[in-house]
Amino acid sequence: MPQIEIKSINAFYDKLHVLKNIELNVSKGEIVSLIGPSGSGKSSLLKMLVGLLIPKSGKIYLNGNQVNFKNQSDLRTIREQIAIVFQQYNLFQNMNVLKNVCIAPTKIQKRNPKEVNEQALTLLEKVGLKDKLNSYPDELSGGQQQRVAIARALCLNPQILLLDEITSALDPELVKEVLDSIRLLASEGMTMLIVSHEMNFVKEVSSRVVFMDEGSIIEINNPKNIFEKPKEKRTLDFVSKILKEK
Amino acid sequence: MGYTLVYTQVLEFLPYLIKGAWISLQIAILAFFGGMFFGLILATIRSFGNNISNKIVIWYVTFFTNTPQLVQIYFLFFALPEFGILLSPYIAVLLGMTLNAAAYLCEIQRAGFLSIRQNELDAAKTLNFSLFQQVKYVILPHIMRVLFPPLSNHYIIMTLGTSMAAIFGVEELTGRAFNINSETFRSVEIFSITALIYIVITFIATFLLAIIGRYFFKAKIRIIQ
Repeated sequence: MPQIEIKSINAFYDKLHVLKNIELNVSKGEIVSLIGPSGSGKSSLLKMLVGLLIPKSGKIYLNGNQVNFKNQSDLRTIREQIAIVFQQYNLFQNMNVLKNVCIAPTKIQKRNPKEVNEQALTLLEKVGLKDKLNSYPDELSGGQQQRVAIARALCLNPQILLLDEITSALDPELVKEVLDSIRLLASEGMTMLIVSHEMNFVKEVSSRVVFMDEGSIIEINNPKNIFEKPKEKRTLDFVSKILKEK
Repeated sequence: MGYTLVYTQVLEFLPYLIKGAWISLQIAILAFFGGMFFGLILATIRSFGNNISNKIVIWYVTFFTNTPQLVQIYFLFFALPEFGILLSPYIAVLLGMTLNAAAYLCEIQRAGFLSIRQNELDAAKTLNFSLFQQVKYVILPHIMRVLFPPLSNHYIIMTLGTSMAAIFGVEELTGRAFNINSETFRSVEIFSITALIYIVITFIATFLLAIIGRYFFKAKIRIIQ
């Protein structure tokens, strides 16, 4: 049974049809990367999975249970199991690093503060920020903020992690430190959906790669094939253009 | 220069003046919080209301920020009786200042609404914050931090603006200074002391506000400009 089952999903921003008939299954421990040009619906797909974009039609199953996005308790459940890291980090500017990581587990999930604190310290150490606990987001570099955001997402103990272009707002020298954190998670078997423009990274970590264009899934393939011999012409156009720029 | 400063005669009236200052403070505080409340309602309508209600708020704010406050109070005090509404000087001044403050504080609070960062709210939603928790942990701390300095400034401006009440015969600080002046004719002494009391009041307020702002809301406020 797939961990996430997405069945003929359609979603709109006002009148803009951003997700067209999306079908995708993700199994436990899989790392699925979404690639495609800007505006192709990759981020919208992730936003939909955490209930920031409510689909108009179609069905989603999480661990075999259908999710009703209009039901608050269903929404809570998916948000407990699926965590997202945003392109712009979206940290709380009025809280320091430790508070950013601990607030949801302690105040929302009502877990034991001491235990959360320990977990937060472990996570922040893992992403290399143990000496920044009391810093505020505006005192950190983009790469550091992004790693705080990753720690914040992980502290929720999610089953699935969504990464929405997490390196595209970063300077090239900061990209590596963030990707290293993700590689570590990948090796631990976390299910991940990754939207990324870092093609080498995608090729390296993904179990499967999904190519999207204009709101539709064009091709799903393994990372080797999608870059070397894609089935669809549009995929070929995209990857050859991207790889030429590198 | 035939004028010699004689403070002894005026200093007898110091307790009388200080009681007047207390009335000034009352007017300022009541009008400020009244204005905050009314302004918050206006700012909410302006941010989330429909087209017609928006227009009404825009007209209200435009009118009150583009006519002199003195004229506004004159209107309440002298024109409303024509319609059968008789206000005491104190109430007319308080009401006038509140309505005026509401217009300015509406704009300040609206700026606070506009400064809320949508991406922090998105994060809060995906972390399962309820609406109340979003307000408590994300929106209010941010808004208070942004709004505290301009609100403090407006409060100080309003404290000084209460001297307008003297024109309508309210016996606050300036009104009492007028009274003593007509008894003793020691104008320089009286008004210098009055000015000093105003400085003390605003300085204490600025200092308290700076402390509250810094320690509770992490707002950056300078005590001396």
